[in-house]
Amino acid sequence: MSSRLVASALLLKATALAAKTVPEVNGFYLDDGFRPSSSVHLGVAVALRKGGIVAPAIHNADTLSVDELMEGLRDLVGRARAGRLQRAEMADPTITVTNLGDLGVDSVFGVIYPPQVAMVGLGRVMEQPWAHNGMLGIRPVVTATLSADHRVSDGLRGARFLARLDELLQKPEEL
Amino acid sequence: MNGQDARAAVHRAINQVAPDVGPEDLEAGARLRQDLELDSLDFLRLVETIDTSTGVNIPERDYPQVSTVGGLIDYVTAHG
Repeated sequence: MSSRLVASALLLKATALAAKTVPEVNGFYLDDGFRPSSSVHLGVAVALRKGGIVAPAIHNADTLSVDELMEGLRDLVGRARAGRLQRAEMADPTITVTNLGDLGVDSVFGVIYPPQVAMVGLGRVMEQPWAHNGMLGIRPVVTATLSADHRVSDGLRGARFLARLDELLQKPEEL
Repeated sequence: MNGQDARAAVHRAINQVAPDVGPEDLEAGARLRQDLELDSLDFLRLVETIDTSTGVNIPERDYPQVSTVGGLIDYVTAHG
């Protein structure tokens, strides 16, 4: 039973790996400029059942297996909703993901939490007719968006991040 | 399992996953996602809680059958 996954776990893992390869989206912008982070602490926006939102971190998300990440997500959401997060988890995400797919939202344009420099928005995973190599098939499709701080990154780096995310999600079994 | 036990088990499990949902919200037609506002992780926890407490394992292909409180009670009744 405990090995069941939600789609978010795969999306989060791919996001963490993509962030690792594009340092300009992962870190903090402080008084003395941008400090990239060598680790990816992935902030996950969690809605609280009584209203409000928190975005605590799954630490070193890029190094976790999908199963470990799923456990981390489950643990984090459970503790967030019970009001039992630790201070470090709240303070140190290096990039945050907001995932509104559960609510049937197709795409979301997130607002960056300073001092972070990027926010990834994930919509609903839905089956769509999809043309590829001259063939039409039905595939699961998700719209991912990136909000990025132009003091640190630019369109090219943002595109590189999204392209890497796309590439990683094409082979979910390798995540 | 009889319907009454199944109903009690389902109500207990929902209360565990979403303590803010009141008994008055648990009408048979109430949809777990839309009306009770369970997200995918809450739903997964609910499925696991039901499995632990009743031994009824709900495979993913049967999720459409258990999208409402009543559907879930019927499922647990039939498979418990």
